[in-house]
Amino acid sequence: MSGKEIDIGLHVLDHQLLDKDGRRCGNVDDLAIEGGVGEVPEVVAILCGPGYWGQRAGLVGRLAGWIGGGRKVRVPWSEVRKVDSAVELKRGATELGLGRGDDRVRPYMDKIPGAGR
Amino acid sequence: MSKALGLGLGIIAAIGGFVDIGDLVFNVAAGATFGYQLLWVIVIGLIGIIVYSEMCGRVAAVSGRAVFDAIRERVGFKGAVVALVSSEVVNLMTLAAELGGVAIALQLLSGLPYRWLIVFAVVAFAVVIWVTTFEWIERIFGFGGLCMLVFAVVAVKLGPDWGKVGAGFVPHISHVNRMLYAYFVVGILGTAMTPYEVYFYSSGGIEDQWSPKDLGLNRANAILGYGLGGTLSFALMITGGALFLSHGISPQHLGTVALAAEQPLGQLGLLLALVGILFAVGAASIDTVFAGAYNLAQFCGWEWGRYRNPRGAPRFALTWLVLLLLALGILMTGVDPVALTEYAVLFSVVALPLTYVPILLVANDKAYMGRYVNGRFANALGLIYLVVIMIVALAAIPLMILTNVGQN
Repeated sequence: MSGKEIDIGLHVLDHQLLDKDGRRCGNVDDLAIEGGVGEVPEVVAILCGPGYWGQRAGLVGRLAGWIGGGRKVRVPWSEVRKVDSAVELKRGATELGLGRGDDRVRPYMDKIPGAGR
Repeated sequence: MSKALGLGLGIIAAIGGFVDIGDLVFNVAAGATFGYQLLWVIVIGLIGIIVYSEMCGRVAAVSGRAVFDAIRERVGFKGAVVALVSSEVVNLMTLAAELGGVAIALQLLSGLPYRWLIVFAVVAFAVVIWVTTFEWIERIFGFGGLCMLVFAVVAVKLGPDWGKVGAGFVPHISHVNRMLYAYFVVGILGTAMTPYEVYFYSSGGIEDQWSPKDLGLNRANAILGYGLGGTLSFALMITGGALFLSHGISPQHLGTVALAAEQPLGQLGLLLALVGILFAVGAASIDTVFAGAYNLAQFCGWEWGRYRNPRGAPRFALTWLVLLLLALGILMTGVDPVALTEYAVLFSVVALPLTYVPILLVANDKAYMGRYVNGRFANALGLIYLVVIMIVALAAIPLMILTNVGQN
């Protein structure tokens, strides 16, 4: 879709994030937009993590975010390679601080034989 | 042969969705209460699930996004939280019920104590899902469930009045006991389109790594898989009508359904029926445990899928393990599995519109679907079924209360 107009509310917000290897590493939980009165607003970063849920859905979002661990990761918009049915990033998840939860649980799963099958 | 094996997804989704423990008892009970009068409702539910499965399978093949991705993108964060909570409650209740059904079938086959068999079933499922690839999970439970076809033989052998069976396929309203009839109509439609089928089906398409060139396979899976599930539902209802209606028996237990096969076919029929039931409720266990893990992972943006293996998708693996343990806990309270599925319908009412509306919206999004967007035919049917779903969602709870969950 590069080059064409995109609706950031419809085609970016709440979409899947994929790192450079196609690994699923979070959703676009919110967007940081800059621009004062009289300026053209610009999306400067993708906000990812349960810590941002409170600003999306009030009390329910805060509760869900608290259960989810409240982590916040800010990914500069310049890291976005392509907006398709998912938002694809230029670098790996670990470099950007994304997908940490999976990295933390992995060693426990690895203790069970056959985790790599 | 490989073509036939490619139908595993549709078959496991449909057998698990159409002949799960609730439907097994519900369809036979519908036959026992109203004879063949409700056969037309199965047809309506069948077309609806085919239309929406094809749609969400197409979205998965073209865009790589599953149903819960679509829900979050289209109904926003708040709506998605509501959909997530209600669908997880339904999935967990249904999973517990199906695992209970597995234990009941094992008990009828082996005579061992029910509670031990529950533990055995949960451990067995954890091991099977951990060590087996998605393709083989599809094949084992999908094709194992084909033993249920014994009920098609039973239905024919019982020699039903085919004129009356034919008349049952024509939509009509009952003259007696209208409230209970309406309860069965809503119940059959609701269970034919239970949301976990599309959660499982769409994510399963991604597990099978479908791409746009697999759209024919998607259509074949939706039509043939669910067609088979619908055929089994017809057979169960006809069996209930032919065997139980005249005797005034209304089956409330899985064992009664299996015994129906013994009447015309003897011991072998009973054995096939029990094995078929075992795999059918096993397929439903697979559908629901995976649906639960897919939904949470997709809501949160985690890596997911059995094709990624537990090392590649650790939180997804942890989720299905936890769901199995929670289901074990629920079953250990001694709750009746069949009753559990009836109450699960209450929660699916909220999930129904929140699931099907986003599928229709995404399937119409050009940016997403390119030239594979819905045609007029799919949209017309999709819209008609949204109305059907809304009616089911609105009518389910009042009818449950008015008929005392179908007991009067």
